[in-house]
Amino acid sequence: MPKILIDDRMVEAAEGLTLLRAAENAGIPIPHFCYHTAFPPEGSCRMCLVEIEGLPKLELACSTMVKEGLKVQTMSAKVVEARKGVLEFLLAEHPLDCPICDKAGECKLQDYFEEYGLFRSQFKEAKEKREKKFKLSRNLILDRERCILCTRCVRFLNEITKTEDAGILNRGIHSEVGIYESELIDNNYSGNLAQICPVGAITDSDFRFKTRVWFLESNESICPLCSRGCNIAIDSHPGHPRALRTRRVYRVRARPNPDVNSHWICDYGRYGYAYLDEAREDRLVWKKGGLETRLIWDKAAQILTEKVRSLVHLRKNSRIGVVLHSNLTNEELFLADRLFRKGLGVEKLFLADPPPGKGDGFLLTSDRTANRRGLLEVGLPVQALDAKALSDLDLLFIFGHYLADGTSAADLKYALEKVETKALFASHKSGLDGLVDFVIPVPVIAEKNGTLTNVDGRVQPFVAGLDFNGDGLPEWRALLDLAKELKVEPKYFWPLASPEGVYQALRKEIPFFK
Amino acid sequence: MSPEYSVSLRRKIDEVAARYPKKGAALLPVLHLVQREVGCISAEEERFVAQVLGLRPMKVREVVTFYTMFLRRPVGKYHLQVCSNLSCSLLGAGPLLDYLQQKLGVRVGETTADGRFTLSTVECLGACEQAPSLMINFDYHGQLDGEKIDRILESLE
Repeated sequence: MPKILIDDRMVEAAEGLTLLRAAENAGIPIPHFCYHTAFPPEGSCRMCLVEIEGLPKLELACSTMVKEGLKVQTMSAKVVEARKGVLEFLLAEHPLDCPICDKAGECKLQDYFEEYGLFRSQFKEAKEKREKKFKLSRNLILDRERCILCTRCVRFLNEITKTEDAGILNRGIHSEVGIYESELIDNNYSGNLAQICPVGAITDSDFRFKTRVWFLESNESICPLCSRGCNIAIDSHPGHPRALRTRRVYRVRARPNPDVNSHWICDYGRYGYAYLDEAREDRLVWKKGGLETRLIWDKAAQILTEKVRSLVHLRKNSRIGVVLHSNLTNEELFLADRLFRKGLGVEKLFLADPPPGKGDGFLLTSDRTANRRGLLEVGLPVQALDAKALSDLDLLFIFGHYLADGTSAADLKYALEKVETKALFASHKSGLDGLVDFVIPVPVIAEKNGTLTNVDGRVQPFVAGLDFNGDGLPEWRALLDLAKELKVEPKYFWPLASPEGVYQALRKEIPFFK
Repeated sequence: MSPEYSVSLRRKIDEVAARYPKKGAALLPVLHLVQREVGCISAEEERFVAQVLGLRPMKVREVVTFYTMFLRRPVGKYHLQVCSNLSCSLLGAGPLLDYLQQKLGVRVGETTADGRFTLSTVECLGACEQAPSLMINFDYHGQLDGEKIDRILESLE
């Protein structure tokens, strides 16, 4: 591997790597606007200029390849002066919109100016007036005054979606990003444009003017809306005395993961975050004789385990049923298998999932659940849901509110009425609420810890990025509590206390998860 | 596909496109062919060229708007392009332009009501030794003054 000297530091870099990447890998950031890891170097913004010993002029770090013995200065006086010059030209036409610009706080231009400049512009001329809210797509708005013509958006549409919807029109001072006539950008990945825009030129009407980025707290998670398992960041409002908190989650962004979603997420995942806060179950209730009682979980667990115990005692294990779904984590599915099937001899394990949608051939899969592959690999012998089979039970544990999706309401009501005790573990309100005896709120993926197996068999861990505000508890904890309360395989279950612990057990037993 | 593009134009386009490893690479020469035949490259021609060369219309528009010699609107029978660059300006391009505007009764960028003349300004024509100069369609005229302009315009049909 070629050895190069960056800022007097010896750095080893792989052949074929650009100086910018080599420096970044060594922890030396080089400022840039147009360069993006996902695309070939463009070299149009001139911000990444560096000094290379022996060369008369400054070179672009984004497009110069590493070569044995290069001596590079990234912060020499000459370099800083050049970068100031680039910034001065960019700012010559850039409006002072920062107080009302969504990008403020995470804007490269703003950050670099603060880092390199804070100088007075030598330009006395008035700035050009340009279109401030040009509609690019259903959600995206282009501000042509803020645009620095880095062409990241154009390249994204050329190289990633290959839809080539946008381009640079005209030339010189008249250059501008445009679309063809009024043909709006219309693909399932358009939301990425607002995320990759290095300045506030492309903003997202879903986020526009809703809050300031510095009030947001960003937490890592996995998108559960299809089986791809895209890595995401959920930006939420923890509340701030000076920020009016009107909601919890403000946006979802893609988090780079070259093995899963590169730098992108689809619009279905990006804009589909309403489920995090809409129609959530928040009260743990027990309905008996037309009365609704609020319970704590311990009490509910006690009643349920008593019911299980009496059935097991009467050798009526076959009268217990469990409905599962593919949004449960690997750990939860594994625990369900250990507890219900192996521990209690329950044979009636059903699967009730949201109906499939349409895949788009890129990231979005047709599966609308996060962990079907996990379900497969854990090896749960689930059967398709059958309303008739349900009615043949005395006790039914229902995980998920998807049961209502596949079965007609009348059939379901008829079947469930015959089951003596029904406990529903659900994150969202649904038609099932009125048909069961226990409603136990559970967190969504973003609110719990665990692992998911994506469509390609990649196991991805995640931790809670949002607080779970309901009465209830995560399914893994409920399953562990039930197992411990029932004293099923005490030696096995007692030491388990966290999803991490469960995963260790899972790894030992199922080769796939090694 | 609109039928108004002649068979001969299509044949010429195919010939030109065949000279390149990728059809799309023939964009510039094909645009010239179309402009020569149709007179301009409007949205309709952009779509036509895009379809013939297997490109997205946006790619065609990027090129058409980048090069100033592609006309996006139809011009009159005679397109008067007056040089407004340094040498010509020093030798009276300004007054010449004023004279033409007055004589034709149009402003720069406009076409006379009878559709005969369109008046434009262009950057350097590369004919500084003939300054002030102008191009009428593809013909150069230099060392102009009002009198000479009158004679040239009269000689045009």
